[in-house]
Amino acid sequence: MGAHVHDEPRKPKVKHDGAKKHVIAFIASLVLTALAFAAVAFEVIPAGFTVPFIVGLAFVQALFQLFFWMHMDQKGHEFARISIFAGLTFILIAIIVFVFWVWW
Amino acid sequence: MATHHVNAVLPDEPEKATLEGKNKILGFWLFLGGETVLFGSLFATFIALRDQTNGGPTSQQLFEMPLVALATLLLLTSSLTSVFAVLALHKKDLKKMQAWMTVTVILGLGFLALEIYEFMHYIHMGHKMTSGAFGSAFYTLVGFHGAHVAFGILWILTVQLQTVKKGLTVVTAPKFYVASLYWHFIDVVWVFIFTVVYLMGMIGGKVG
Repeated sequence: MGAHVHDEPRKPKVKHDGAKKHVIAFIASLVLTALAFAAVAFEVIPAGFTVPFIVGLAFVQALFQLFFWMHMDQKGHEFARISIFAGLTFILIAIIVFVFWVWW
Repeated sequence: MATHHVNAVLPDEPEKATLEGKNKILGFWLFLGGETVLFGSLFATFIALRDQTNGGPTSQQLFEMPLVALATLLLLTSSLTSVFAVLALHKKDLKKMQAWMTVTVILGLGFLALEIYEFMHYIHMGHKMTSGAFGSAFYTLVGFHGAHVAFGILWILTVQLQTVKKGLTVVTAPKFYVASLYWHFIDVVWVFIFTVVYLMGMIGGKVG
């Protein structure tokens, strides 16, 4: 059946991070999410600053997940970084154009 | 046939052991770059049109925090369980990997059920795809994300079924790895949806 790899001398084991790093990323994501929800629910921050604050939190959380959970922090992910950041650049331009060109 | 025990023959990082596996992952990142642009254009459209309700209910009247918080918690947790599945994959523990993938799928189904309930609730309140620019932009963006969740569930289930038959090999391992990348990406998109669509909608302020 399956294409197992046979008769290959065992290379030194690839070192893998345990679950700890990922649980930390999970807790960090939970805290960032709770902060964003709290900022809106309790209006503790000056109203004009709430939007940049929660958008900033979203970007921090997204980077956490991209780098830890999607392994973009590991070697051999240069192409992944190029793909995602090229995509991000395009959409940031699109959003600025849509918001400031359409309504102002 | 079905190898439900720890596989000792597999190389380390079986998802990258073959050129095909490596190319699959590389190609998938290119796809994710394209998905970023796709979701980005939907976000841009939504941000530009979110105040154009055409007399229908506004986002402040519609959105409720507990529902969004629960949906966020479900999807975030499912992203963690799919990480655990990949960790089990690296330990070549098929049984554990299948178990974590199953938990991921169940959490995804919970998220989907919540979203269907939410959409039905909004439609009763008069917030429809056809009710105005806000409605069209909302259902296109959030619905498209929901469709990604539904597709992700089907994808993971299909790979799981195939692996029950074929076992964990250098052929099936990349499929799980790529499916879990896709699942994380769906969660990353949701981070921006709950921030831009729901939280910013509840403040009701303009961007900038």
